[in-house]
Amino acid sequence: MARFAGGKAPFLRIADNKNHGTGIIMRDFLIGLLPVILFAWYKNGILVYTQGNINVWEMFYPLFFILMGGIISFVMEAIAFYMMGAKDKESLMVKLKTSYGVIPGLILALMLPMYTPIWVLMFGCFVANIIGKLLFGGFGHNVFNPALLGYAAIKFGLMGVINSAGGYFNASEVLIDAYAGATPLAMLSVNKVLTYNAVVAPFGNLWDFFLGLTPGGVGETSVLLILISYIWLSARKVIKWYTPLVYVGAVFGLSWIVGAMNGQSNIWFPLYSIFTGGVMFGAVFMITEPVTTPKNPLGKVVFALLLASLTILFRFVGSLPEGVGTSLIVLNIFALPIDKYTSIIRAHRWKKPALLQICILFGILLVLTIYAVTKAGSLYSLYLPIFNLGGIF
Amino acid sequence: MIFQKTKGIHIDGRKSMSKNLPLQEYFNPEFVYIHLVKPIGPIKSVVEIGDEVKAGQTIAVREGFGEMNVHSSISGTVTGIKKVWHSSGKMIEALEIKNDFKNTLDDSIKPNRNIESLTREELCVMMKDSGLVGLGGAGFPTYIKYQTKVKIDTVIINAVECEPYLTCDYSFILSYPEKLLKGLSYFMRAADAQKGVIVFKNYNKKIREVLKGFLPKYKNIELYEVKDVYPAGWEKYIIERITGKTYTQLPSEIGVIENNSTTAIVFSDIVEQNIPLISKPITITGEGINKPTNFYVPIGTKVSELVAKCGGYTTNLEPKKANYIAGGPMTGRAIFIDDLIVNDTLGAVIVKPLIEGLHPECLGCGQCADVCPVYLTPTEIKKAFESKDIPLIKQLNAMKCVQCGLCSYVCPSHVEISDSVIRAKELLRKGAK
Repeated sequence: MARFAGGKAPFLRIADNKNHGTGIIMRDFLIGLLPVILFAWYKNGILVYTQGNINVWEMFYPLFFILMGGIISFVMEAIAFYMMGAKDKESLMVKLKTSYGVIPGLILALMLPMYTPIWVLMFGCFVANIIGKLLFGGFGHNVFNPALLGYAAIKFGLMGVINSAGGYFNASEVLIDAYAGATPLAMLSVNKVLTYNAVVAPFGNLWDFFLGLTPGGVGETSVLLILISYIWLSARKVIKWYTPLVYVGAVFGLSWIVGAMNGQSNIWFPLYSIFTGGVMFGAVFMITEPVTTPKNPLGKVVFALLLASLTILFRFVGSLPEGVGTSLIVLNIFALPIDKYTSIIRAHRWKKPALLQICILFGILLVLTIYAVTKAGSLYSLYLPIFNLGGIF
Repeated sequence: MIFQKTKGIHIDGRKSMSKNLPLQEYFNPEFVYIHLVKPIGPIKSVVEIGDEVKAGQTIAVREGFGEMNVHSSISGTVTGIKKVWHSSGKMIEALEIKNDFKNTLDDSIKPNRNIESLTREELCVMMKDSGLVGLGGAGFPTYIKYQTKVKIDTVIINAVECEPYLTCDYSFILSYPEKLLKGLSYFMRAADAQKGVIVFKNYNKKIREVLKGFLPKYKNIELYEVKDVYPAGWEKYIIERITGKTYTQLPSEIGVIENNSTTAIVFSDIVEQNIPLISKPITITGEGINKPTNFYVPIGTKVSELVAKCGGYTTNLEPKKANYIAGGPMTGRAIFIDDLIVNDTLGAVIVKPLIEGLHPECLGCGQCADVCPVYLTPTEIKKAFESKDIPLIKQLNAMKCVQCGLCSYVCPSHVEISDSVIRAKELLRKGAK
C-alpha cells in the first residue's frame, strides 16, 4: 500500500502545461510590445539618421532609452525585494520570476518623450514599481496601473525638466517650423476655431497620424503598429479583444457627437480624436491591464464605456487635453465596485434580483455620458489637444 | 454576455489510453466490501456476521427518505464490519463478504415473464427494491425521479461522459448496445414518456453505429450529438440543447427526466432478469498505470486488485509525487492511500503524476469568469468568501455553481479557485441555517 499526494480537484490544469500559464501570458505581452518598440526606434532613430540630423550612436538612443526603462524597473524591484527580506539568491529569484518587473518600466518609457533625462525615467520607475506595485502588496494586488502612476508623477512634477531637455520633438521634428513654431498656436489663439486646417494640417494629414509620423511619446504615436500589437495580443488571448474595441468605438462616437455640436460634423474630427492623445495606446496596453480592471467580461465592457465617457469629459471639458491617462487612473479606483456589481448582474442573468445594480451602474454611465457630451457642446478647450500632442494625460 | 446560454470549453480528453480496449470482466474478487452508506445517508445492515449470503441477496436497507435495498454482489460469508476507504475521501464502515467462488444466485433472480404488463408503479417498485441509483456519479436514487407528479414527455439518456480520461460508459455501451435501448424504453414506460433521446459526444460515432441496427425496433428513440466540450455531460447543458428550454431546480419542471447510460443498462437487467444493482463498469487509467483498462466488476471490489490486473503502477511512478484520484479528474477527490473500494458512485480511478511548478498570484485575467458555464464570477466569490461576507456570497449567486472545476482548470496562475467557491457554498449553507 502506498501513500499518495493530496490535492484539490480539478487535477487537470492549464497552468501545468508549459505552454500556458501566467509566465507565457507575460512573454506574449512583451512580444506584443515589440512592434511598438521597433517603430519607436525607426521613427526617432533610423528615420532621423537617414535625414542626417543625428550620428550613428544617437540613432540607437531610442532603443537604449526604452530598454533602460525595463532594466531600471527590474533592477529596482530586485533591490526592493532584497531590502524587504529576500536575502538568499533562491528566494530572490522566485520573487523576481513571479513579479514581472520589466513591464511597467517598458510601458512607461514608451509613453515618455525621447529626450527625457534618465534620472527622470528612474524616478518614474521608482513610483511605478515601488510605490505603485510593491507598496500595495506586489504583483496582483496593485490598485493603480503602475506605469500610469509613474507617468502621472512625472507629468505633474517633472514636465518642465523634460521640456527643457528637448520635449516631444526629435531631432528632425525640431527643425520643422509648423511643429515648434508659434504658427498653429498663434492661429488658434487668434481665431479660436476648431478646423481641420488648424488642428491636423500642421502635422500633415490623418494618414500621417495613422502611421504615427507625428510628434509625441516615444512609442504611442503609431496607430498602425498598435493595431498590429492588438491583433497579436487578442489572437494569443493575452487581452480580451472587445475591451479596446468598445473603448475606441465609444470615444469615436462621442467625439463625433461633440464635434458635430461644435460645427465639425466631418469624420476627420472623431478620427483625429482617436488617433491622438494615446487613445489607441491606452486602449490596447493600459485598459486591458488585468490586475487593475474588472475581471468579468461584462465588467470589462462597462469599464470601457465609463472610461470613454470620462475621457471625453476630461478631454473636452476638463483642462486635461489628452484625458486617457487621467480617466483611467480615476477609474482604476472604481474597478472594484464595477467588478462586484457586474458580477451580481451576470450571476442573476439580468433578472430582477440584480435590478438595483443594473440601475446604479447604467444610471451612472448614462448620466456621465450625457453630462460629458452636453458640457462639451460649446467649448473653448476643444482645441486643447494641439497644445499638448504628446502623452496620454 | 447578454444572451446567457449554458456553455463549455474544449478540454483534451486523454481518453485514448483506455478507449479502444474491450470491457474486461472481473467477477471473482476474494473479498467485497459493501459500504454502509449511500450519498443520501447511512444504511442499515440486515445480516449478521457469519451469515451465508447469495449474490443479489438484500444485506442492508435504507430507511426513511430514499428508502431502498442494498444487495450482496457475490455469494459467500459475511466475515465482519470494517472501516474502509470510500470515494468521498473518508473511512466508512463496510460489510466484508468472503467469496465462496460458487456464485450462487439469490432466488429472486430469474427472468421476468410478464414484462409487457408491468405498470408504471411496478417499475418504480423494481427500481427501489433493486437499489438502483444514478451511476453517473451523483448516486441519487432513481425511483425518486420517477415518482414525480409532473407529466413527463422526454427521457434523456446521458452517454456523454464529458470528463477526461473516463471511458467506462463508452465501453459499457459498446458491449451492451441493445440493453441500453431496452433500458431506455423501460424508463420511458416508467415515466409515461413519449420520447426517448440518447445523447453522446459527436466524436463517438461508434455509438451511433452500434445502435443503428437496433433502432428500427424502438420507434420513439432518437440519437443526439453534442459538441466535444466540458461540461457537455451536465444535465442542464444537455436539456437546454435538446428541448431549448431551461429550468431552475429539477429537469422534471419542464417534463424531462435524465439518466446515465450505465443506469439504463443496469435497469434493463433489473426488469428482465431481476438482477439488482450489484456490478458496474469502472475505468482504471492515468499516466501512472501500466495498462489502463475498463473493468466490469462487482460493487465492493478492491481497486488495488484491479490495478494489479492492469499491470500495476508504472515503474517510475513516485506515489508521493502522484495523485490517486477517485472519480474523474475534474470533479474527483484525491485519496491518500491506494486502498479504495469500488462503490456505486465511483466511475474511475486515475493515477497520474503531480506536476509541480512556480506559480505567481492571481493576475486577474478573468478567464475563470469567461468559462463559467453558469456565468458566475469566481474571483468575486473568492474575495467575498475570504472576508466571510455571507450576504454578498448570496448576491453573487454562489449556490448556482455546479462545481465543474473549469475555473481552476483554466487559471494560468494555478489558483485553487473552485475550491474557494465550493467552500463559499458551504459557508452559505451553514449561514442559512
